[in-house]
Amino acid sequence: MTLGDLQLELQDSVLIAHLTGEVDLSNARGIEDAIAVATPNHTVTVIVDLSQLRYLDSAGIQLLYRLREQLHVRGQDLRLVLGPDSPASDALRLAGVIDQLRTSDTLQDALG
Amino acid sequence: MSGPTLHDQHTSQLSPEIPGMGMMRLPPRTGQVVVAPAATELAPTDQIRALYRLSDPALSELDLEDLLDELLVRIQEVLEVDTVAILLYDADTNELLARAAKGIEEEVEQGVRVPLGRGFAGRIAAERVAIFIADVDHADIMNPILREKGISSLLGLPLIVEGELIGVLHVGSLKPRTFGPRDLALLQVAAARAAPGIERARLYSALEQEHSVAMMLQRSLLPQQMVNLAGVSVAARYMPATFEVGGDWYDFFPLPNGRFGMAIGDVVGHGLRAAALMGQLRTALHSYALEDHSPARTLQLVDRYIRSMSQDAMATAAYVVLDTDTGALQLASAGHLPALVLGGNGGRILELPPSPPLGAFPYASWTDHESSLGGEETLVFYTDGLVERPGTQLMTSIGRLLAVTAAAASAEEACRLAIDQMIPFARLRDDIAIVALQYGTVPEELNLCLPTEPVVLADVRRVVRRWLRAQAVAEQDSREIVLAVSEVCANAIEHAYPPVPAEFDLTARRTGDRLEFVVRDTGAWREPRGDNRGRGLKVVRAAMDEVEVSPSDSGTEVVMRRRVGG
Repeated sequence: MTLGDLQLELQDSVLIAHLTGEVDLSNARGIEDAIAVATPNHTVTVIVDLSQLRYLDSAGIQLLYRLREQLHVRGQDLRLVLGPDSPASDALRLAGVIDQLRTSDTLQDALG
Repeated sequence: MSGPTLHDQHTSQLSPEIPGMGMMRLPPRTGQVVVAPAATELAPTDQIRALYRLSDPALSELDLEDLLDELLVRIQEVLEVDTVAILLYDADTNELLARAAKGIEEEVEQGVRVPLGRGFAGRIAAERVAIFIADVDHADIMNPILREKGISSLLGLPLIVEGELIGVLHVGSLKPRTFGPRDLALLQVAAARAAPGIERARLYSALEQEHSVAMMLQRSLLPQQMVNLAGVSVAARYMPATFEVGGDWYDFFPLPNGRFGMAIGDVVGHGLRAAALMGQLRTALHSYALEDHSPARTLQLVDRYIRSMSQDAMATAAYVVLDTDTGALQLASAGHLPALVLGGNGGRILELPPSPPLGAFPYASWTDHESSLGGEETLVFYTDGLVERPGTQLMTSIGRLLAVTAAAASAEEACRLAIDQMIPFARLRDDIAIVALQYGTVPEELNLCLPTEPVVLADVRRVVRRWLRAQAVAEQDSREIVLAVSEVCANAIEHAYPPVPAEFDLTARRTGDRLEFVVRDTGAWREPRGDNRGRGLKVVRAAMDEVEVSPSDSGTEVVMRRRVGG
C-alpha cells in the first residue's frame, strides 16, 4: 500500500491532481515530481485537490511551494482545494501560509 | 492391478497351447513374423524355477529402479536372451520412451522415442499384441540401435494395467532364434510383475511433481512476512494436506487511512487446479480490497470475477477491515466458517447469518457486519481443515478451537495453540490455513524507540492518534497534536547522521490535563534553514502550548506540552 495516492485528471487547459491518504516526508518529493512531470505545456492551471487528504505536514507544504515555483517558471498557475475543516487546512493555517496560497473550499470554486 | 489383466489381451493361462501366440500378427509387408510352433518342453522343475525367478515376491519390496534392474537381469537369464528393454508410454506425446535396458543400454542413454504405431515396439503398443520377429534385417524396425547391435530376433509384448497401456517389454537374441510359447509365457509373467510396479511408481512421481508444483505455488502466494505494525500484530500458518495440495489461502495488508485488511479463503476442490484458482482468487480479492471497497462489495467483485472465468469454480471466503485507530471491524463472509475473537472473557464466536459461497449463484450479494476489537483482543480466521473431524459436529469442533486458543496472549500464540491442539498427529486429509490479528492495547505512557526512516512517521501518527483517543482527547485537538509530534519526529529523522542507521525516542505521558511529548535524537540540532523547516517549527509552536528545544553534544531533545479538556 502506498501512504498517499495521486489521481490526475486533465480538463482542457486545467490539470487536477486529487491527493488522498497521507503526505509527509516519506512521499512528498515523489508526489511533487509526479505532478510536475504529468503537467502538459499547454496547461494553464494546476489544481491540487487536498480536500480528501488525511494528513499534510510541512514537507507537504514545501511540496506545494516548490511545485508553485516550477509552474511559475512555465507561466502556469497553482490553485488548491482545501475543503472545509480539512487536515490540510489545519496544516496551512498552523504554518501561517494559508493566505499566501490560492485556496478554495470546493473544486467548483477553483475551476471558476 | 494384478497379472491377469495383462493376460486378458493375450493368454489367460500359462498353458502349453498359449492362445496368445495365435494372436501374434503378421506384419503387413514382410512376413518374417513367425507364429512359433510349440517349443521344446522344459522339465517341470526348470519351468517352475524359471517362473519363480520372474515372479519372486521379494521383487515387490524393491523400488522401481531396483525392480526393473533386477527383473531385466532375471529375464536375460531365464530366457537366455542378449537384450531386454522396457519402453514406457508417454500419453502426452503418444510415444514410447526407453526406460530400462540390458544389453542395449544405449536405448535408455540416448532416450530413444518411438511413435505409437511405428516400427516393432510402436506396433506392439498400438495394436496391443505380442509380436515376434525372426529376422530383424528384413523387418520394419524403427529403432536403428536394434540393428546396430546386431540383433537377429525379437519378441515383445505390451505392458497393460487395468486396460491401460503403460509400455512395451521386449527381448532380443543376437543369434537367429525362434521364440516359442514358453518364452512368451515367461515374458508375460515378467511383464505382470513389472507393470503394476511401474504404474505405481509413475503415479507416485506424477503426484509428487504435482504436489511440489502446487506447494511452490502456495508458498509464492502467501505473504512471507508477518507484519508487526504499531498496534497490530499478525501471525499465520499454512499446512498442506499429506498427499494433496488444496486451495486454502490467507492474506493481510495495510489499507489507506490507518486501516488494515485480513482475508481467508478456501477453493472447493484439491490439486493443482485448486491451487492455481486459489492464486487467482487471492489476487482478485487483494486487488479489489486495495480499491477501498467494503468487505461485502469486495467479496461481490471476487464473485463476479469467478463468474467471468470460463471454468466453474467455487470458494468460501471471509474478509475483514480493521480501523487501527478505533478497533472497529467491518467484515463479510461468503459461506466461510465463523471467525473467533480471543481475549477478554474467554473469547467469542463471531457467527454471521448464512451466506452463499463465491461462485455459487448468479447475482449473489453479501452484507457487511460491524463489530469491534478491544485492546489485546485477537481475531482468528481459519479453514475447515482445522475443525472438520469425522463424527464430530462442526460447531462442537469450533467450540473446542475457541477453548484451546482462548488463553493465547498473542496472534502468534493463537496460531501455535490451534495447530498444536487441533491437528491430529497423523496424515492431514485437508490443507489448513489460519491467520490471526491482535489489536494491541495502548499503554498509559508511550515509550517508543524508532528507526530514523521516513516511513515510520505514518506509524508514529497511528500510535499517537490511538493514544490520544485513549486519553479522550477531542478530534480537533488530536489532529493538531499529531501534526506537531510528527513534525518533530520528521525533523529528528532528517537530521540523523546518514548513512549510519540511527534511532530516536518518543515518549508521551499525561499529568492531569497536561500532555507532554518528548522526542530525543542523537543528531546535532540544526537551526531551521529555509522556509520549509521554519514552517515545520512554526506548525509545532502553533499546535502546542509549550515547546522547548534543548540541543546538546549527545543529541537534541524537544519537549512539547499541551493542555487538553476532559
